[in-house]
Amino acid sequence: MRPEHWLYTIPLRLRSLFRWGQADQELDDELRDHLERATEEYVAKGMAPEEARRRARLDLGGVEKVKEQCRDARRVNWIQDLIQDLRFSLRMLRKSPGFTAVAVLTLALGIGANTSIFSVVSAVLLRPLPYANPSQLVFVSEAKPEAGMSGLGMSYPPFTELQDNNRAFSAIAGFGRHALVLTGQGEPSEVSTVVVTSEFFSVLAAEPLLGRVFVAEDGQRGAAPVVVLSENLWRGRFGADPGIVTRSITLDMRPYTVIGVMPASFHTPFLNQTNQVWIPLAQDPLHSVWMTKPPREHWMAVIARVRSDISSAQVLTELDTIGARLAREFPAEKGWAIRTEPLQQTITGDVKLPLLLLLGAVGLVLLIACANVANLLLSRATSRSKEIAIRIALGAGKRRIARQLLTECAILGLLGGLIGTLVAYWGVATLVPLLPSSLPKFHAIRVDGWVLTFAFTLSLATSLVFGLAPVLSAVASDPHKELGEGARAGESAGPRRARAFLAVAEIALAMVLLTGAGLLMRSFAELTSINPGFEPNHVVKAMVSLPQFQYSTPKQWAAFSEELMTGLQAQPGMQDSAIAGPLPIVDCCVTLAFQIVGHPPMKEGTAESANYVPVSPRYFSVMGIPLLRGRLFNDSDSSSSAPVALISEALAKHYFPNEDSLGRHLLFGFPANGIVSREIVGIVGDIHDVSLGEEPGPMLYVPFAQAPLYGGEVVVKSTLSASAVVGAIRGVTHGIDKNLPVTDIAQLPNTLNASVAQPRFRTLLLGLFGAIALILAAVGIFGVISYSVSRRTRELGIRMALGAQPGSVLSMILRETLALTLIGIAVGIPCAVATTRLFTHLLFKVTPYDPVTLALVPFVLIAVGVLASYVPARRATRVDPMVALRCE
Amino acid sequence: MLASVTEDMDMSKPSDLVQGTLDMLLLKILALEPMNGFAVSQRLKQVSGDVLQVSDGSLYPALHKLEQEGWITAEWKTSEYGRRAKYYSLTRLGRRQLEKEADNWDRLSSAISRVINLKEA
Repeated sequence: MRPEHWLYTIPLRLRSLFRWGQADQELDDELRDHLERATEEYVAKGMAPEEARRRARLDLGGVEKVKEQCRDARRVNWIQDLIQDLRFSLRMLRKSPGFTAVAVLTLALGIGANTSIFSVVSAVLLRPLPYANPSQLVFVSEAKPEAGMSGLGMSYPPFTELQDNNRAFSAIAGFGRHALVLTGQGEPSEVSTVVVTSEFFSVLAAEPLLGRVFVAEDGQRGAAPVVVLSENLWRGRFGADPGIVTRSITLDMRPYTVIGVMPASFHTPFLNQTNQVWIPLAQDPLHSVWMTKPPREHWMAVIARVRSDISSAQVLTELDTIGARLAREFPAEKGWAIRTEPLQQTITGDVKLPLLLLLGAVGLVLLIACANVANLLLSRATSRSKEIAIRIALGAGKRRIARQLLTECAILGLLGGLIGTLVAYWGVATLVPLLPSSLPKFHAIRVDGWVLTFAFTLSLATSLVFGLAPVLSAVASDPHKELGEGARAGESAGPRRARAFLAVAEIALAMVLLTGAGLLMRSFAELTSINPGFEPNHVVKAMVSLPQFQYSTPKQWAAFSEELMTGLQAQPGMQDSAIAGPLPIVDCCVTLAFQIVGHPPMKEGTAESANYVPVSPRYFSVMGIPLLRGRLFNDSDSSSSAPVALISEALAKHYFPNEDSLGRHLLFGFPANGIVSREIVGIVGDIHDVSLGEEPGPMLYVPFAQAPLYGGEVVVKSTLSASAVVGAIRGVTHGIDKNLPVTDIAQLPNTLNASVAQPRFRTLLLGLFGAIALILAAVGIFGVISYSVSRRTRELGIRMALGAQPGSVLSMILRETLALTLIGIAVGIPCAVATTRLFTHLLFKVTPYDPVTLALVPFVLIAVGVLASYVPARRATRVDPMVALRCE
Repeated sequence: MLASVTEDMDMSKPSDLVQGTLDMLLLKILALEPMNGFAVSQRLKQVSGDVLQVSDGSLYPALHKLEQEGWITAEWKTSEYGRRAKYYSLTRLGRRQLEKEADNWDRLSSAISRVINLKEA
């Protein structure tokens, strides 16, 4: 059509759309007028009026049919149809409020749960990182393939090599974590510090809120110390001082000039803390030493922005070249390769599988809900079959009827989605505080536009899923059969089979969910029942840090710790106290390489390694770690006596399998001391040093007095309340130096709990879904059996009349239930096994084929199924034969 | 569809005219003067000598389609007997459409005539 023609017809089409009611009346009038004229014509020709009228009508054909064809001719039909369908559907749904309520609530539960989980998935996995052009950002790591190590940080010299000589990156930066003590601003406190190279903010293309970010000059050694604050810190600690830029603050007793403030929307990758400062690497008291030493410590996280015109293949070749050059320049770097991966993947990689697992599980719950609603619809369709048959007989097209029924389903779905969204608001609010803190949270987790779109689409898709079967079965009915004289409220085999199939499917799905939940529960039980190797009860810990610039020598550290320990021991009620380096599970480990004196020397570049902890003598009694052989440290092990060490049983067994380790010497040392030969004086029990889930590793203990640290974890065993203990620690510490912060206060049992937060979260949620699935499946079975009973009232009445005992009727119904349940279980077991294999690595000491779970879950399902069918079964036995035989 | 239904069965041969042709005929009839649906069907029978008879059941949908396309327009008028009836008339667009279709018809029918009138060898 030419454009103007098309435009001209719009008013016509709109008119037929909006004044549809009127147009319909006009059509009616027009045809009636035609019939009158035709009748008159025939009468004029000499026919009797009755005959004339009949002929006229015959000539026209079916009036309704002609009307329908006229309506079809107006091509805006589909909108009119839709409106008509909507009105009709709403009326039908209003007529059966009970059914509508149950269906909508079931759907709301399923859709709401899915939307809640999707909110989390969307915020964590789907949204891109909050930086400009996030797809250009990569994480650069070092790997040593032959030693099976990968994803490690970079050491400084290779980094500078990469920074100065690469063509693939527009900016590259390394950063690490530290904590400096902020003083002069109220209580001395530790502040999360990010130590960065000069291009850090350029890589992330981040703009400051105030002032400026670092430039190359700030990163030079000897430049003036500068610092950038986070917005939250600026507001919280400095009262949003507008003149903060160029002000001087004291970190670790050293003045730093504030040059800028980063907005609250800026997040440091991996180290996302709200109160944070950034300082150049050259200005960090601890890490700046790595700028001049040969590569050994892989401590830097390196991120880079790839140039837009460079392909990933080019990046790889570039890195290989540089890696080869580094290996030539630094022999220690031999065997190390440089790798990259997209930053998004590095950040979200760990949580991807668990989150997708949760999404899959909650999707199964929705499927079960759909099956329930489909069952409800099937039952309802059977009672509406007469109505539909009449409509078909009157000339309604089957497609039209199907469309109308689908509209009903869509309304149910959308209503369910609406209420489900409300459920999701509540669900997200409840869920967010329970999320494990390790979840990357760059974007706020809430019900936003994306999530709402998802909910809407899901509602429509759901309507299609649960609506298809009932609608198809409804329109497949044969009008003749339905309306025939002998048609009773009996049922054809089709819908009954469909319902049974749905019930079986529900049970199978519930089986999958319950198996998954059961496995996770067993796994979690195993995890929490592990003996950590130490006794956490009644132990309180607190971290005391010494600012490097004030306490710069090991002698000062040793003196401080001694004074602290003496002071604490003197406090009443403190049973035992100690100071230590990294605590098990709570802190990250320090891994050191060591060599065994007397054993053959190791190859250059390889070494044995173990976790290293300096401890004060009473540490083992505070932590309840048993001494197996030899002796513990005592006060005579000081800096002036012979260097000694304690090893864990794992180390002894592994490295001294056939000999006595006592008296042997080991060569190792933490940087501050250099490498020293220490004599093994005792063996202590193993502890789970990294996490409950990992095997105890080899451990090296040294006396704190011989290898002091600039602060450490104070652990106190006491029967006093935790706050009293903390007060005492604070009191003694501030008695020695009032500017020292006491941070990271916790009770050890709580820290152990927190360490299993992720598995606990998973288990709780999946258990919840399993429970919901079980309830839905029970409701489904209840529905199927009770409907089947009501349909068979006549048959049951006959049976009872012929002398059947109530007991046999009961057992007949129960057998039907059992058949359904057993088939469902039989289908469900292979599905369950196939699915649980997907998350094997989330399970601890439990295999996906765990026989206990696989035996228990079917038992639970059968029990629930029998219980669910009990009420309808009882109702079946109470059928009065006389009533049943009379009812039609 | 367009079909002849007459009392005399042996005279009838269903004229399998395409829908488009029916449209053209209706447009032409309405070009002469505005009239209502019944009158259109009578006129068609009359002018074609009872050969072309449109079943009433297909007349009205065709008229409504023409109205939807904008080729004819309708008006409710009080007829001579004091009753309301819907009168269709041709629009400017309809007139143009009619010309176009009449041209096509001419070309088609002459082509068919030429083929039919080929002399047998």
